[in-house]
Amino acid sequence: MQEDRATVLAAENVKMTFNADTPEEVTAISSISFKLGQGEILGIVGPSGCGKTTLFNIIAGLLPPTAGMILVNGKRVQEASGHVGYMLQKDLLLPWRSVIDNVTLGLQVRGVPAKESKEIADNLIKAYGLKGFEHTYPAALSGGMRQRVAFMRTLAFSPDVILLDEPFSALDSQTRLLLQADVIRIIRERNCSVVLVTHDVGEAITMCDRIVVITSRPGRVKSVHTIGIDPSLRHPLKIRKQPRFNELYDTIWDELGIQFAA
Amino acid sequence: MALPETGATTVPAASSTKVPRRRGFSVFGIRVLIYQIVLLVGFLALWEYAIRAEWLPVYLYGQPSGIWRELVKGVESGALLRDTWITAQETVIGFIIGSVAGSIAGLALWLSPTTAAVLRPLMVALNGLPKIALAPLIVVWFGVGMESKVAIAAIITFIVAMLTSFAGSQEVDTDYIKMMKSLGASRLQTFRMVVVPATIPWIASAFRLNIGFAMIGAVVGEYISAEAGLGHHVYYSGTLYNLNAVWGGIFALMLLALFLDAIVGLVERRLKWQ
Repeated sequence: MQEDRATVLAAENVKMTFNADTPEEVTAISSISFKLGQGEILGIVGPSGCGKTTLFNIIAGLLPPTAGMILVNGKRVQEASGHVGYMLQKDLLLPWRSVIDNVTLGLQVRGVPAKESKEIADNLIKAYGLKGFEHTYPAALSGGMRQRVAFMRTLAFSPDVILLDEPFSALDSQTRLLLQADVIRIIRERNCSVVLVTHDVGEAITMCDRIVVITSRPGRVKSVHTIGIDPSLRHPLKIRKQPRFNELYDTIWDELGIQFAA
Repeated sequence: MALPETGATTVPAASSTKVPRRRGFSVFGIRVLIYQIVLLVGFLALWEYAIRAEWLPVYLYGQPSGIWRELVKGVESGALLRDTWITAQETVIGFIIGSVAGSIAGLALWLSPTTAAVLRPLMVALNGLPKIALAPLIVVWFGVGMESKVAIAAIITFIVAMLTSFAGSQEVDTDYIKMMKSLGASRLQTFRMVVVPATIPWIASAFRLNIGFAMIGAVVGEYISAEAGLGHHVYYSGTLYNLNAVWGGIFALMLLALFLDAIVGLVERRLKWQ
């Protein structure tokens, strides 16, 4: 399914060692490679401590890897430069900015004229269900709405790649399902290329086209799974009824090697 | 004579304690008000009686009726108003110079972590220092006029504002900084769009503290050496054992403090976002 897509993001033998050549030397990531195609959603799943956050920071250009490299549209990422938009568990909305001013933040950083960025933000807000809240401040919004605003802020400056790091894990389960469904829909509509870092296997299967399973520290790629479930059946509530969902769920859990005291 | 002790400045949290606002007069509110009036009147009456019955010497304690006469005399002659005006000017000018410059300096340190690291021991030392201890030095440098009182108020408030705004800028969630970086923001953009607005509530808290410190600075400066001002009035009257005039001066200082604090309180509330 993804073979014919242009590669937007590539990780090539990325390695990360902290405190190199000291007694506290820790290799967080031994070697990770993967490719993300245009319009693809790639899940990265691993046990806690597999270096997910480290990998996330490397992709975002916030942390230079010890070895290997990240390529965005064939160009090597040297530093954070707005090529990647990300969304975390924390919404990171600026409390002194209204919804619309939070959405335009990335555009403002890039020096997009105020009028133009306002228009972009206005369209996003209207299209994705926050109309009427443009001038509300984050403190007055629910957790789900705040994450929606954070997502729009990410979309607004059309980054090449969107990184999602457990973006729904702080939400209650109803809000989470609703937001997952909306985010999938929006990502598909806009043909965004997305890397989703999560420890929630179900969430990864629901949202992604492919899943890369990472081993525990030092992290390396253990396996890659193509989901292969028709997009029309991808609704968070429907997908759980698919036999393929359960099959993948069990396989990936097994691969994560997490032991349950039965 | 007990000087107000400033002591070490603990950096305030970026939140204000909320005092419930009185809305209209509840039965409870009226009862509290009546108790307060009874207590105050009772205390003044007891004080007055203790002096008149010669339980206490007037030259050590003063006397409410005498204080009132001093206040009336001071207002009629204009001397008390003149002293109040001088102290108010010293306080306000020192406060504005020190608080504004200090806040800017503290914020600027965010832009230069090297400078901040170099200055860290100095900041720790200044934080622990009872800043009023610098007053005699400043009087030596700036003389007996208003300038030295303005300088004391400015230097004390500068230190408090700088330490507070620097501490506030360091408390900004690093995830915000990371987010700005990932958006491709320059350090200056991050400073302008995140660090400064996030530090404003800390600065507002420093302003509130500083109006008090500025007044302490001005008054202590007047105690040390001055020819006018409420501090001079209080100190000078004290040396003459004119306790009524001392109390009159203290009363004027209290009114001035309440007035200035109320104004800065308004500014503080405007500066603090929800």
